[in-house]
Amino acid sequence: MKCESCNKKHATVHLTEIVGSVKKERHLCEECAQNINAQLTKIPSPTEILTSLINQVAPEINEMSKVACPVCGISYLDFRSHGRLGCPMDYTIFRKGLIPLLEKMHGSTQHVGKVPSKAGKELIKKNELMQLRNELNKAVEKEDYERAADLRDKIYELSGDNSNED
Amino acid sequence: MNFQATIAMKISDLTDNTGEWLRGTGPESDIVISSRIRLARNVARYPFLSRANAKQKKEIEGLIRERIRESEITQDLFYINLADVSPVDRLFLVERHLISKEHAGGEGIRGVAFGKSETTSLMVNEEDHLRIQVIRSGFELRETWKTIDEIDNKLEKKINYAYSSRFGYLTSCPTNVGTGMRASVMLHLPALGMTHHIEKVFNAVVKLGLVVRGLYGEGTQVAGDLYQISNQFTLGKSESEIIEIIEGVIPRITSYERMARKALISENREQLEDRVWRSYGMLKVARTISSDEIMHLLSQVRMGVNLGIITDIEMKTLNELFILTLPGHLQKLEGRELTSAQRNIIRATYVRKRLEKIDSLQ
Repeated sequence: MKCESCNKKHATVHLTEIVGSVKKERHLCEECAQNINAQLTKIPSPTEILTSLINQVAPEINEMSKVACPVCGISYLDFRSHGRLGCPMDYTIFRKGLIPLLEKMHGSTQHVGKVPSKAGKELIKKNELMQLRNELNKAVEKEDYERAADLRDKIYELSGDNSNED
Repeated sequence: MNFQATIAMKISDLTDNTGEWLRGTGPESDIVISSRIRLARNVARYPFLSRANAKQKKEIEGLIRERIRESEITQDLFYINLADVSPVDRLFLVERHLISKEHAGGEGIRGVAFGKSETTSLMVNEEDHLRIQVIRSGFELRETWKTIDEIDNKLEKKINYAYSSRFGYLTSCPTNVGTGMRASVMLHLPALGMTHHIEKVFNAVVKLGLVVRGLYGEGTQVAGDLYQISNQFTLGKSESEIIEIIEGVIPRITSYERMARKALISENREQLEDRVWRSYGMLKVARTISSDEIMHLLSQVRMGVNLGIITDIEMKTLNELFILTLPGHLQKLEGRELTSAQRNIIRATYVRKRLEKIDSLQ
């Protein structure tokens, strides 16, 4: 009898497979049987299971796992296990990993609050405009058109005296 | 006044008084005990404290301490180096809400600056390089924000804060990034607790992105029906918007508490009055009281005063007793370390004397 799989060698291994209520016999040569056996017993290692799990839950961890901050020296994984960042630069270095995290924590990733006076007038204006636009959206949603018109004028006024403003 | 006052002197000075936020005045002060805001700030070009070495920590502490002194935030501000202070003194400062539990239990060079009124405190080298806090009596978040914003403005002229236009004020923990602001309101809600409506309130509050905590913040137990409600998110909303959200919720909770109190009275006035008077009586006669028990008794009496059942005790006295009978305060009062059993006796004696004084005045 020839091997069912390669059709070349003599079949020396005889397997009986039961799938549901169907019984199936297979006749294979030693080499082919070993290949099939290897496939059947290929169970992922714990590390592989963990990696695929992390990929599902927080894909950024895997991607960021080799990133470390050149300034303070902590790695992204150090941060994830202790929950504390090492220096202000980490917000730039770990940006990719932090953004989905911040989104989960705060529902947003863009600061719209206070700006230190040292950070410059332009930035203050930019933030003010952003806040006004938010308020405008809210007013429109509430169908408060009087307030919306008011806010629109303020936005024009603020952005108008600087033609470079986007 | 000397900015770096001798610690022993300063802390014993405090035992005779309490902070202004305990006065029991201000809007809605029958239910809202206090309004508090804190801002987290870090100095640019230094690592956060978890990665700073001893030399850097010393530099940061020295720099911020000097800037605070120069900024003339309030006239009578003084600074305490916490590394020089005993554990009982640190506990005392935690109970006063002048430092956080984490700051008390921290390591290395760190300190706190505060004024006589205890309205403002500035923690140096806590989780972040600087944490500014302002507390006021009653429901006064707007005023509190105004005060803290001014202090922050004075300091930012002298300190280069770590800041990015995308993420705002950069903090050691990303849960504080953005505004770096935590605004919280301390509420006394005994009737909602008694009528088992409290969970409903909190479920609604949590849906708005707010958090409910006990008297001493994160992870502390709820005692004396005192709860703190504060914002969870710090990024993506301005300081004003965050305050607006809390301001929108609090009046609903206070009116719900008032409704629950009315319901308790109309259902069974005698029973409620009996509960209140029994608690008052217990405070006047007991020879040993645990810290849990006193919180419960004070809570009942406080509600009794609000409802006009008890009229001979001031709200300020009651608010103060919540703080003055805490373990750190009792040990400062006695000037020595005490076991829990010893504290229970001294606590009962202290309260009895305070209340006898009221009786003798009448």
